[in-house]
Amino acid sequence: MMGGPAIVVSDVSKDFLLPHLRRTTLKSRFVSLFRAPQTLEVQHVLHEVSFQVEKGEFFGIVGRNGSGKSTLMKIMASIYAPSSGGVSVFGRLVPFIELGVGFHPELSGRENVYLNGALFGFSVKEIDAMYDDIVSFAELEDSMDQLFKYYSSGMQVRIAFSLATRAQADILLIDEVLAVGDAAFKSKCRDYFHELKRRGTTIVFVTHDMASVREFCDRVILLEGGRITAEGGAAEVAQKYLETVIPAKRAAQAQAKGS
Amino acid sequence: MNDFFHRVRERYRYPAIILRAMVVSDLKLRYQASFLGYLWTLLRPLAEFAILYVVFTKFIRLVGGPDWAICLLLGTVIWGFFGELTVQGLTSIVARGPLLCKVNFPRYVVVLSVTVSVVISFILNLVVIAIFMLASRVFVGVEALWFLLLILELVTLTVAVSLFLGALYVRLRDIDYIWQVLTRAAFFATPIIYSLSLVPEKWARILVLNPVAQIIQDARHVLVSDQYVTISGLWGTEWIRAVPIGITLVLAVTSVIFFRRRSRSFAEEA
Repeated sequence: MMGGPAIVVSDVSKDFLLPHLRRTTLKSRFVSLFRAPQTLEVQHVLHEVSFQVEKGEFFGIVGRNGSGKSTLMKIMASIYAPSSGGVSVFGRLVPFIELGVGFHPELSGRENVYLNGALFGFSVKEIDAMYDDIVSFAELEDSMDQLFKYYSSGMQVRIAFSLATRAQADILLIDEVLAVGDAAFKSKCRDYFHELKRRGTTIVFVTHDMASVREFCDRVILLEGGRITAEGGAAEVAQKYLETVIPAKRAAQAQAKGS
Repeated sequence: MNDFFHRVRERYRYPAIILRAMVVSDLKLRYQASFLGYLWTLLRPLAEFAILYVVFTKFIRLVGGPDWAICLLLGTVIWGFFGELTVQGLTSIVARGPLLCKVNFPRYVVVLSVTVSVVISFILNLVVIAIFMLASRVFVGVEALWFLLLILELVTLTVAVSLFLGALYVRLRDIDYIWQVLTRAAFFATPIIYSLSLVPEKWARILVLNPVAQIIQDARHVLVSDQYVTISGLWGTEWIRAVPIGITLVLAVTSVIFFRRRSRSFAEEA
């Protein structure tokens, strides 16, 4: 399990064309035939980002909103293609960009378990085998035949999380999962992370919560404006992150007072 | 050899699992709140057929040939498959956008899942036709096996068009309206509610180059009566078949290439 890289990210850049400027209708294409070619506004989300995640590492990515964390995650999960640079992944990677991906409100809880499980790569037979465990872990034995839209959001999160913990992966990408749910859920999440760490699963973890960074992460990078501005141990980078946030907060407060 | 099969199975395991899950949930969702449920897959073409039947055999006596009612049904069912799948395929990628930007799976699965559910209704419709044929004592011989090849051609053509439209719609939303107009025009340019024998020959020779027209006329010819004129009958040579089949194959290859190239950015744009 240990030794060697799990993910190598080399010189990854990502540019988005701003959507309102993209020509998506014939009319705008037609009109633009007669106009001087517009300089399209390009948003540079990531600039030549390079780093390496070792096998068995709990790797944190922190940064303020809009710093490119989620884009980077999606590139690592090969959901987005990078504009330049490349990513190599060694092992089976499962992304949790969001809990309960693919859940449909008009399907029953049971049907949603099979649908969501399929997205994790589980066949019907495999879910049959673990169905009871999934349901009892989520403590939802009585409501699996109800339509999903009648579930409370807490119930939805519980069943989604219960499924997620089943994913068979060497590498997990986890985006902000701890942000949802109550205290009991958070404690379940924490237990699960410790379990993953013990098993030696490689984890890439995106969060704003510095307490969990300090608790779990072996190594952390800090993204600012699409560039890595700090890389190192959890305590050190968490401190740096707080320093980037606090001046901004003070400035905002000052502005609020002024106006 | 075993190794090869193992690799193929490994490669298509995940797409196959997702395909199945999507098809099953689509079928469950489609008729969920309706009283008659799946029966609608049969009832809808039957109702449509009843309308056409009354209009075109009682009001407008535009009889195209022997057992015209069955040929009418055959035409609407074949066209119905093409129309239904292309319209659903067109929006399928955009409709799955929220899923595509969270999970990485081969994007063609989305179009395939639509294909499977439309193919299922198509098969049920064909069963209805078979029942009507028995009821009106139209019996088929071995030449009916050609019909299987015609279905293959139809499915290839329709999936190709759906892949192309689905990928195009992500960038160019006008294509939805354009396609509605085009299919409306194509409905009348295709021998669905008429037979090509009713069209002046110089026009019929052009209309039949459309693969769907060729398929419908061929199907009538092999399943109902050899009085229905086919593309080779109109042109006096079998070689002319190369045109609609060629169109189908060229569309299939270009659509796959186009879809593959565009699919990398579906997650960002859909």
